[in-house]
Amino acid sequence: MADFHQTDPIITLHRLGIPRLERIESELVEFSRQRPIALVLPALYTEFQGEAIKGIIEELKKVKYIREIVLTLGRAREDEFKKVREFMSQIPYEVKIIHNEGKRVKEIYATLERNGLHAGEDGKGRSAWIAYGYILANGVSEVIALHDCDIVTYNREMLARLCYPVANPNIDVVFCKGFYARITDKMHGRVTRLLMTPLLRAIQKLVGSNPFIHFLDSFRYPLAGEFSMITDMARINRIPWDWGLEVGVLAEVFRNYSPRRVCQVDIADNYEHKHQLLSAENAQKGLMRMCVDICKSIFRILAAEGVVFSEGFFKSLQVAYLRLAEDTMLKFEADAAINGLVFDRHEEAKAVEAFTNAIKKASEIFLENPMGTPLIPNWNRVISGIPGILDMLKKAVDEDNR
Amino acid sequence: MENYVEMLFEPINNFWKNFFSFLPNLLVMLFVFFIGFLFAWIVRAVVLRVFKVINFDSWCDRVGLTAIIRKGDVWSKPSEVFGLVIFWFLVILFLMIGLSALQLKTIDNLIAQFFLYIPRAFSAILIIIAGYIFTGFLSRAVLIAAVNSGYHYARILAEAVRLLLLVLILSMAFEQLQIAPGIVIAAFSIIFGGIVLSMAIAFGVGGIDAAKRIIEGGGEEKKEGKNEKDKDIEHL
Repeated sequence: MADFHQTDPIITLHRLGIPRLERIESELVEFSRQRPIALVLPALYTEFQGEAIKGIIEELKKVKYIREIVLTLGRAREDEFKKVREFMSQIPYEVKIIHNEGKRVKEIYATLERNGLHAGEDGKGRSAWIAYGYILANGVSEVIALHDCDIVTYNREMLARLCYPVANPNIDVVFCKGFYARITDKMHGRVTRLLMTPLLRAIQKLVGSNPFIHFLDSFRYPLAGEFSMITDMARINRIPWDWGLEVGVLAEVFRNYSPRRVCQVDIADNYEHKHQLLSAENAQKGLMRMCVDICKSIFRILAAEGVVFSEGFFKSLQVAYLRLAEDTMLKFEADAAINGLVFDRHEEAKAVEAFTNAIKKASEIFLENPMGTPLIPNWNRVISGIPGILDMLKKAVDEDNR
Repeated sequence: MENYVEMLFEPINNFWKNFFSFLPNLLVMLFVFFIGFLFAWIVRAVVLRVFKVINFDSWCDRVGLTAIIRKGDVWSKPSEVFGLVIFWFLVILFLMIGLSALQLKTIDNLIAQFFLYIPRAFSAILIIIAGYIFTGFLSRAVLIAAVNSGYHYARILAEAVRLLLLVLILSMAFEQLQIAPGIVIAAFSIIFGGIVLSMAIAFGVGGIDAAKRIIEGGGEEKKEGKNEKDKDIEHL
């Protein structure tokens, strides 16, 4: 990404010149003395059967500036949890695994539930949230970085670049999101390219200038799952537990901090992870469910910002989106042509059609119930309700890892 | 020959005689066990239902009792834990009552001691529960006050207060349970006295200069005050 364009209002950190990993890492070792860094890895057991995680662990073994790794493991039986523990023991520094299906952590969720604090259903949102809780309970780290465990093209430069802006005390950044291109022989990232960007711009056309839409649109890859933040943010941010997680996190960052303290960083030339099926006919699974959740999340956040939605608005939105998405498709076709990438226009058009349906479905759900999916309460709220919850969580995780 | 046969069967006859005189007691004991077990089970079920109605688990979560239970690596609901404690307490109680039906002198002594110990155990439990809640409240109050006053070591101070009070409460509970009371009191006196003494020494040593300034300042102030008074013009 050899340009140096800054997208207002956030800071964009580019990948310029020849990257010097050793320099960044040695600086991070220094920074981490002042601001210890925790790495959160949300993972399913199935990911440990794949190849990507092996590469990630090999890279993480060489990292010297991470104080603690918190792997939050979902959908794993007791014996599978033990296998993961054994696998993670290769890493020469502190690794804690949160066994979300284990009896102790389940009891933590039950404790929250009976006190009216709904932590949501099993998923990346809830897994990440519980990991933040553990980091807060440990009270060691001041910076939290998070990335997925299915990155095939992972290298430790990604992590270093992701952590750097928040760990560096001379850069006043509280939140940093990664961005990258997702290409193989063709372009991926359909939801960002063909749903998110045209949808945001279509909304902006209809409602006029809106600071939140402007903020979201300034991210090059708003749906990227990789970010770093200061630990205090984990205390005050509420996050959705469904696929609206990334948008929800950005909304909370926007609500609680100045965009001038938010940045995006180019973390890799290319990024490859597992691809979701479109499943255009079924809004309950695959990419369609993700799209519906994302749209719902955007509508709900905008409603909270004061935007009034009506049936007529949503009808206009669908038309405006379709038009913009078709224009966007043409841009990507040209981009693919100059880079010698395969561009299946029919498939892209089908995706746009499916995304239009997703917007329609999301708008119906939103009009029926504007409150939608509640967010997971922030940790400050949880601690005020159950003062001993962090001690309990720490005990649960430490006992599981004993 | 008859004598030999009689001698041979006498112990067996005695055994049967004793056994038949003992059998009603044994049956009573088994009956009491059974009734006790049944009663304990019913009480547990009722208690669990009542706990559910009054949201006992949530209350325990909020006041910190759940956190204490979790520290012992117990991961059942607080209501289940308390239900189980009540259940086993009743089972043991009926076991003792049942054993008393055997009318054996040694067991009777044991039972008498057991019943005498129950009030002590209760008061020890109450001391621990009330003490823990009070400790949490006080340490939080110290934390808030210290943070608001801008003390750098607010958390350490609050933790120290919590630790001291916990030592005090545990000592009181052990003393109540009559578990090595002499050692507990001695240990508590040494620890608490030691802490207070070290604090007094630290305060004394650290405050020498301040005390000197105050004393000297007071003296000078008095002198200056006298001089000032002398200078005052008094009307005749």
